[in-house]
Amino acid sequence: MKSSRTLGLVMIAPAAIMIVLFFLMPVVLTAVFSMTNMTTATGISGGVYQIAPNSLITLKSVMPEIAAELAEPRYTIDEAGLKAVESLGLAPAIAAELRAKHAGEVFATRREAERMIKDLAERPSTREVKQISEQFNRSVLNTRFDSKEQLFSSLDGLGFKLTPEQKETVAKTTYTGWTWTTDNFSRMTRSPDMARVLFNTVLYVALVLMLFNVGYALLLAIWTHYMPATPASIFRGIWLLPRITPVVIYVMLWKWLAWDSGFISILMGKFGYPPKNYLLDTAYNAWFFVVLINGFIGASMGMLVFSSAMQAIPKSQFYASEVDGASRWQQIRYIILPQMRWPILFVTCYQTLSLLASFNEILLATNGGPGNATEVWALSAYHTALRNYAGNLEYGLGAAMALVLVVIGVMLSLLYLRVFNYRTLVAKPLIED
Amino acid sequence: MTILPTLKSLTIAAAILASTSVFALAKDVTISVWAGGTGPNDVYRLDAIEIAAQQLQREAALKGEDLKITVEKKPYSAWEDFKQALTLAAEAKTAPNIVVSGHEDIAPWSQSGLIVPIEDYVDLDSWPLNGIYENLLKIASYNGTVYGIPQDAESRPMFFWKPYMKAIGYSDADLDALPQNVQDGKYTMKNLLEDAKKMQDKGLVQPGYGFYPRTSNGPDYWQFYTSFGGTMEEGGKLVFDKAAMTRTYQFFADAVKAGVTKKNHIGMPGDQWWKEVATGKAGIWDGGTWHYARLVNQEGLKDFFGNVIFTLIPAGEGGKANTLTHPLVYLLTAGHSQDDTEIAAQLVKIASEPRTNALHAVKSAHLGISEAESQVDFYSADRWTREATERLLPHANAMPNNSDFGTYWNIMWKNLEASWTGAKAVDAAVGDAESELKSTLGDKIVIR
Repeated sequence: MKSSRTLGLVMIAPAAIMIVLFFLMPVVLTAVFSMTNMTTATGISGGVYQIAPNSLITLKSVMPEIAAELAEPRYTIDEAGLKAVESLGLAPAIAAELRAKHAGEVFATRREAERMIKDLAERPSTREVKQISEQFNRSVLNTRFDSKEQLFSSLDGLGFKLTPEQKETVAKTTYTGWTWTTDNFSRMTRSPDMARVLFNTVLYVALVLMLFNVGYALLLAIWTHYMPATPASIFRGIWLLPRITPVVIYVMLWKWLAWDSGFISILMGKFGYPPKNYLLDTAYNAWFFVVLINGFIGASMGMLVFSSAMQAIPKSQFYASEVDGASRWQQIRYIILPQMRWPILFVTCYQTLSLLASFNEILLATNGGPGNATEVWALSAYHTALRNYAGNLEYGLGAAMALVLVVIGVMLSLLYLRVFNYRTLVAKPLIED
Repeated sequence: MTILPTLKSLTIAAAILASTSVFALAKDVTISVWAGGTGPNDVYRLDAIEIAAQQLQREAALKGEDLKITVEKKPYSAWEDFKQALTLAAEAKTAPNIVVSGHEDIAPWSQSGLIVPIEDYVDLDSWPLNGIYENLLKIASYNGTVYGIPQDAESRPMFFWKPYMKAIGYSDADLDALPQNVQDGKYTMKNLLEDAKKMQDKGLVQPGYGFYPRTSNGPDYWQFYTSFGGTMEEGGKLVFDKAAMTRTYQFFADAVKAGVTKKNHIGMPGDQWWKEVATGKAGIWDGGTWHYARLVNQEGLKDFFGNVIFTLIPAGEGGKANTLTHPLVYLLTAGHSQDDTEIAAQLVKIASEPRTNALHAVKSAHLGISEAESQVDFYSADRWTREATERLLPHANAMPNNSDFGTYWNIMWKNLEASWTGAKAVDAAVGDAESELKSTLGDKIVIR
């Protein structure tokens, strides 16, 4: 018994690893990222401490005197630097000339110091000039420190008298990496655009789901159920085409249909209407096409599931009902629909979740336009975290948006199970463990 | 019998020794370079590095080094894809050695440590780098450090279709004076909308084609903000000027209301837009200097100067005529060996020489990066580069290098699009932008 359990664990191990790696980890990582302010500017892999002019602007309002002192760039030709130059292993004349002619001089910028170095009789190469100037750098400006300790020891070394609190403030304002925060969630609740995007998402999911993925799919399934077998198969085959066509080509076909140089415009032109971009003309038009584009793809899956479920209904029930004089509508109402609860639950649940997360058709067709009218949550998360013209990718905020989708998805799944009364749908097994 | 095999093995040993000593001197380096926004006219962004590699190999040979450089080139035509690919590659430590991108990326990329300062590897005081326009070099800097070398300069003019301007009453002399009138503030944004309307009323262009701006987000829209008196940055802090932004949003809302610009203009296919502006379907439009190359080389507009006149972006209420230069810059990414990065830096330096850079400027209709380049006959003999340099470059602004500018830009654009398409009223759009900027950037942006 014990060994069989161990064997069971071993057998399931590959699947368990896959589940953890590819199903659980992305959600966990999304949750972790969502609690950070990660962006392109902060990077993903931690930051450094850099006293740069931009961080000094913030520091100036807190401790103006120290900020001014820190901003002072200094290249000092001192004995310590000269010794360091001697140990670089360059031509000895370089250090000698520096000591003789330039000892004690202070330069405000590195470029000025380097100009002096380049004027030495034994002209060093560009690489050597950079090496030499670094030995005289007596400023922390623009230097990147990997840790707080390095920053503090450098500040101490340069003679800055800072209290531990002041040091912490300097560290906080000069840190370039990401920090833990819940700001992403408060930003979402405050932003009027997020409310609009949420509304768009609800509208999109509800319309596509009700009109096409369940409604039209059911209609198609019933329709083909009463057709002779061959035309029914051909019909179902045609309805599968949008799903098996590559999505880029499929959406391009819609664009050809609806752009101002497209088929509809050409056709309407014959009746004297000026060409217009039917796809992006108004928000209503955009929604009309977005729902159609997604609906035609989504309807096919429901149709297949419902059709096969209907095939499973014993034929005898239909024969008996016909003997009793039932109409088609009565057959649908009293035989088909009551036995379709489980497939409808499955399709509704599955399609809600996939619609919530799907955005590629919208991205290709309207890219969320016009004026963000068709920007749904998943598309907005993608735009925020991974793709925008300005190139400032906000990974943290995008992850927080994605996490919201995960939470909504889980909640909806639970709700569906309750509404459709899952327990009565799944019969208890007769043989218990 | 025994001597021969010994001789043989000695010879082989000597040969192996000789070959290894040659290998010890030989250096085989692969330098990868990626460039964003690179169409068929912009190939010299990448090819210039290859040309530079030839030169550096020859220089190394003279110094007795056997240096072999292989340049791997990767062009990206779209910006969004390029920036996504580059940032993710850099985070995964697989970034190319050299990257050609917009200067505005310097701030976030340097802060996150994706790029290293080029001034650590090259001598800015030596030719050709010491000849690069000082303002361009400043645009390629952040926090007082030079991170990139300008790869090109450009400006973004306003274009007018000459035959239609004549048809609504402009004489040849009026048209010749138009650039100066725009520069002096005598021809404003208001006049522009009026002229666009006249063109439509006369039936010269279809409704919505009078003023036919860029169809997607881009630096162009900051010019309109400047036109209406807006400032992007002051003293290192971003600035959101509510009144100027309101006037900017209102301008596009008015253009749509007057019917001279299409409500659904944003998001239309780029190819369609190019074809339309090249064939006189649109009356007035804005774009980059590089549009000249596309219009002439790909879109079949042979007599450009006979059909099109270009000016600065006219002044709007409260602002001034302006244009925006958006130099692409050569940047060095972090995570490579010092030697490789140094070679990459040398290649960038050589690629910036006037004659090499002029190849890019002339082919792609961008502007030169140095005074010396404008003296290269090949460059100055080209009418477009010469006129565009003289007319536009002295009035060019640039977007700020600020690590938070991208956030500001996204919010600005989102609300501009919303007010343009009527999804939000202008005041609501400005209000939403303001509240989102406050909650996102806090005291990093001055709102006034």
